[in-house]
Amino acid sequence: MFKSVFGAAIALGLAATPALAEFPEKDIQGIIQWGAGGSTDTVARSVTPHAEEALGGKVILQNVTGGVGAIGLNQVERADADGYTVLFGAENPLLYKVMQLGQKDYSDFVPVNILARGVPILVARPDAPFDTFPEMIEYIKANPKTVKFGSTGPGGLPSVVSAMIQQKTPIEVTFVPYDGDGPALTALQGGAVDVMPAVLGAAIESIKGGKMKPIAIFDTEAAPQLPEVKTIVETNPEFADFLPWGPFFGVFVKKGTPDDVVAKLSEAYKTGAANEDFTKLIDGRGYKMLSLSGDDAQKFLTDWQSKTSWLVWDAGIAKKSPEEFGIPKP
Amino acid sequence: MDILSNLLMPVTDLKLLGLIAVGTFAGIYVGAIPGLSVTMAVSILISFTFSWDVYPALALMIGIYMGGVYGGSRTAILLNIPGAPSAIATAMDGFPLAQQGRAGEAIGIVTVVSFIGGFIGILALALFAPSLSDFAIRFQPRDFMLLAIMGILLVGSLSGESLIKGVFSGALGIGIGAVGMDPLTVQDRFVFGFDELRGGVSFIAVMIGMFGVAEALSQLHSVNTPAVKQRITRIIPAWSMVRKHLPLGMQTSTIGTVVGALPGTGGDIAALMAYDYAKRTTRNPETPFGKGAVEGLVAPETANNAAVGGAFIPMMTLGIPGDAVTAIMIGALFIHGLNPGPMLMVEQPHMFWFIVGSLMLANCFMLIFGLTGIKLFVKIVELPRTVLIPVILILSIVGAYAVNNNVTDVYWMLGFGVFGYFMKEYGYPLGPVILGVILSRLLDDNWRRAIISEQESLGGLMRGIVTSPLSLCLFLAVLLIILSNTPVWRYVRRNKAA
Repeated sequence: MFKSVFGAAIALGLAATPALAEFPEKDIQGIIQWGAGGSTDTVARSVTPHAEEALGGKVILQNVTGGVGAIGLNQVERADADGYTVLFGAENPLLYKVMQLGQKDYSDFVPVNILARGVPILVARPDAPFDTFPEMIEYIKANPKTVKFGSTGPGGLPSVVSAMIQQKTPIEVTFVPYDGDGPALTALQGGAVDVMPAVLGAAIESIKGGKMKPIAIFDTEAAPQLPEVKTIVETNPEFADFLPWGPFFGVFVKKGTPDDVVAKLSEAYKTGAANEDFTKLIDGRGYKMLSLSGDDAQKFLTDWQSKTSWLVWDAGIAKKSPEEFGIPKP
Repeated sequence: MDILSNLLMPVTDLKLLGLIAVGTFAGIYVGAIPGLSVTMAVSILISFTFSWDVYPALALMIGIYMGGVYGGSRTAILLNIPGAPSAIATAMDGFPLAQQGRAGEAIGIVTVVSFIGGFIGILALALFAPSLSDFAIRFQPRDFMLLAIMGILLVGSLSGESLIKGVFSGALGIGIGAVGMDPLTVQDRFVFGFDELRGGVSFIAVMIGMFGVAEALSQLHSVNTPAVKQRITRIIPAWSMVRKHLPLGMQTSTIGTVVGALPGTGGDIAALMAYDYAKRTTRNPETPFGKGAVEGLVAPETANNAAVGGAFIPMMTLGIPGDAVTAIMIGALFIHGLNPGPMLMVEQPHMFWFIVGSLMLANCFMLIFGLTGIKLFVKIVELPRTVLIPVILILSIVGAYAVNNNVTDVYWMLGFGVFGYFMKEYGYPLGPVILGVILSRLLDDNWRRAIISEQESLGGLMRGIVTSPLSLCLFLAVLLIILSNTPVWRYVRRNKAA
């Protein structure tokens, strides 16, 4: 009896020794750039348990909000590049430099996994006097400045989609600012705002419930969740220049993190993102699964930054030219 | 029949019953400790309950929510440190009662009226959810602006002796609330180039500093005075007492439910508005407000608990959060594979009734747990000041750190504590500062939205106010509140009475 216990203890000790040298040796701290209950938070909290299983370690999640996500980003950037501090971020940091919101962006990080992308959609209050994008443009031209567009401040999805519209079909509308797409979409249902560019996931349930009217999906292909809604390229093919485009969520670690640690994390999050529960959540919320890592993720980030930076700069929303930061023209 | 079985599900399932009980109990303590908020607890629970079924996860969260809103009153009464922003008004009359040796009585009343308020909020959720949410989302930016102005007028009630000093405090609060990056334009305001200020000054840190540390510092003046002996003869309030305040409680519960149902306003604003309402409508309180009036406890505590049911109204019917906690719960529903939105009530009505049932049960547990252990709590006040003051200071520091796990908040808290102490010494009331911080964004953002919507024409804004019945009502209420405090009005009333 004693022998077998002793033997088991030795076996355990032997098994534990090589495991100690392997990442992760301790809990990983996960910093979520946005507040609890938001879409970045939901995505981070639902993929992480599956990734933990693959990783064989715990990721302790914490929301560090403020400064359009810059406060959380800077906190991870200040930590050691050892893979024990992970950032859960959205697309915003790629515009920090041109918007003058911060000096750091994802070029100071290594992408672990670009999880998913949102699909922009233009929605209107249900009793708005137009149903399609061309009708909307016609109505706005006949009634300049009276149509109210919800916005979430320069650099957010609504401002980028509005910049696309301004470049292709210049219109005069009034932008009413809200602190986030949730409050703006609430205002849309209450009639305080007429039109709102939003992410499909935030509007999908309200569209199904008849509380909002879809005008156009800003993507090159129809959304499987709302197959009957027309895409913008069906009515206005000139928008194809900008598309596909959308906000995204990703997992990042500081630049300089050892390659094998990045590889281990990437592997874990790739497995986590493939979990059926997670794909169901992504699908239900109207996102498109990407799960990019390595060079694919890097290329995605570079393209996104170049396309969007120049778009907002040309629209006059940006404070500094992308040229100053060496961001190439698309 | 189906409704009934879902409504009773939390009662008949032992596991759910237990989870709600545990949640409510934990919530009371989370709520009572300044800096530990329900919002924080619920967001931690999302990760914790990830692998659970949706029902037990929600049951636990609902328990914490209900218990936490009530728990904030504990420290407000005993130590003059509101455990949560929604208990600020409670401290105003609760702490004076504790100093008179009536802490036990105050907690007893607060527990019973919290139950009543909670019950009315849940009833409104169960019976009128669709129509109330239709009403709530119809609030335009100009209506929120008028509501915020109405709130700012509360400075009059919170000022104490000098109105001028109260106005100064309120303005300071609005200024503090404006610090940081403006989310609407992404412009820095009052940041002076410091990155740390971009996120703004944590409002909880201000609250803990101004109430906790400032209180501890002023108690140092009388460090050798023996603590007030507490009378604990009666904890459960007499029925006659409850009945006397029931009409007021019903009215303030209604205020709480509606303010809770409005997206973007929660229990904190509801409680303050209810306190103000009580102060205006109560003709002859037995004890003056601010000195330990029972009405001053009934109003905020019914309102903030009614706001819980209220906050679920837009959440369940439209998928729109009524406050910060319901915003996180919506996230939790998504994670558990549900799609909160207007279709939830149609596709999954059982979820609605389950939530109503759980809230009811949590409300009952709150009453039971609230009324037990009071004798032990009250002993805290009887501690010698040399023990109590360090405890308050430590609690304040831990609380301020816990808000964002950020040491900067601790410095802010201490800074505002010292500043608050001097304000107190020179007769500047602290309540209006907190009021200003709470309302700063609501007023600022909605004024800008309202005027932008009218293409920056003041005439257009006035036309909008006059032509909308809701805006007109709010506008007239604001006018009436101001007029009723002018000498002309008082003169007319006196003549009428004579």
